[in-house]
Amino acid sequence: MSQTEDLVKRLPTEMGGLDAGPIQRTEHEYAPWEKRCHALANILDIHKIISTEEKRRGVESLGAEMVGKLTYYERWIVAFANILFQKAILTPEELAKKMDEVAARHPAVQHNE
Amino acid sequence: MNTHDDDHGHAAATAQDDPPPGYYEIMETAVRELLVEKEVIGGGEIRQMLEVMDTRTPALGSKIVARAWVDPEFRARLLANGRATLEELGIDFFEDTQLIVLENTDKVHNVIVCTLCSCYPREILGLPPDWYKLKPYRARAVKEPRAVLAEFGTVIPDGVEIRVSDSTAIVRYLVLPQRPEGTENFSEEELASLVTRDAMIGVVRANTPEKKEKSR
Repeated sequence: MSQTEDLVKRLPTEMGGLDAGPIQRTEHEYAPWEKRCHALANILDIHKIISTEEKRRGVESLGAEMVGKLTYYERWIVAFANILFQKAILTPEELAKKMDEVAARHPAVQHNE
Repeated sequence: MNTHDDDHGHAAATAQDDPPPGYYEIMETAVRELLVEKEVIGGGEIRQMLEVMDTRTPALGSKIVARAWVDPEFRARLLANGRATLEELGIDFFEDTQLIVLENTDKVHNVIVCTLCSCYPREILGLPPDWYKLKPYRARAVKEPRAVLAEFGTVIPDGVEIRVSDSTAIVRYLVLPQRPEGTENFSEEELASLVTRDAMIGVVRANTPEKKEKSR
């Protein structure tokens, strides 16, 4: 089987039945922004703007590389932004401008992206 | 909610010595503020939701399990329709999901997973542990549950069937563990103290009175 064939057959988020190592019983305290991100997800679901199903599909459509490298809530917020662009609720320009504005409130923000 | 009015925002940030927000936190703040400005969501909604989320911890699930142990009529209703029974208790659901409560018996041990994502009975247990969201548990729970449970120190005899329920966006599960022996005279509150988060995921059993005593 070619290597790419597996990419076609499995979504990047689909883990069931794969080989994997031992379970590391890791847990971390959620950061305040991660909790806010989760609260935002619940509110968007309650308002019928982004359903759980759309959220999962939004994460899948980030592609395997981003799914592999971003942390859990990093994937969520990027997926929400993309879905909100697709639904014409936000535009990329608005978000870029607002992010600059938010960053400017914190003089020490490192711009290392 | 983090508000940054001009008078206090910078001073407060410096005084608390908070690390500067990262790229994704800035994105979260920007998305949230834009949605409020556009009146897509209300200004106080996120803060109110955070308060509700803080009340959803495994302690809530433990109470429900203990009640099901002492009240057969409640247990029957919980098993028949998890969501409706919990809504009667005032537990709102944030998403359009069903809740199926899976009862462990002498013949069947249940365990829950979400192979595709991280679906979890958040309304009752709060946010899931990291390991529940990571690859090893999601990949292996459906393929070799007996080995996975053994890693959690839970040895299920060969004669007991292990049922693995894979959660979806619209169907979530909660495991109703077996009531431990030697708890006949326990109050509902004492029973609840034996029920851990992991027991309601199904990776361990409810604590026995002896085990709880040891862990003190």
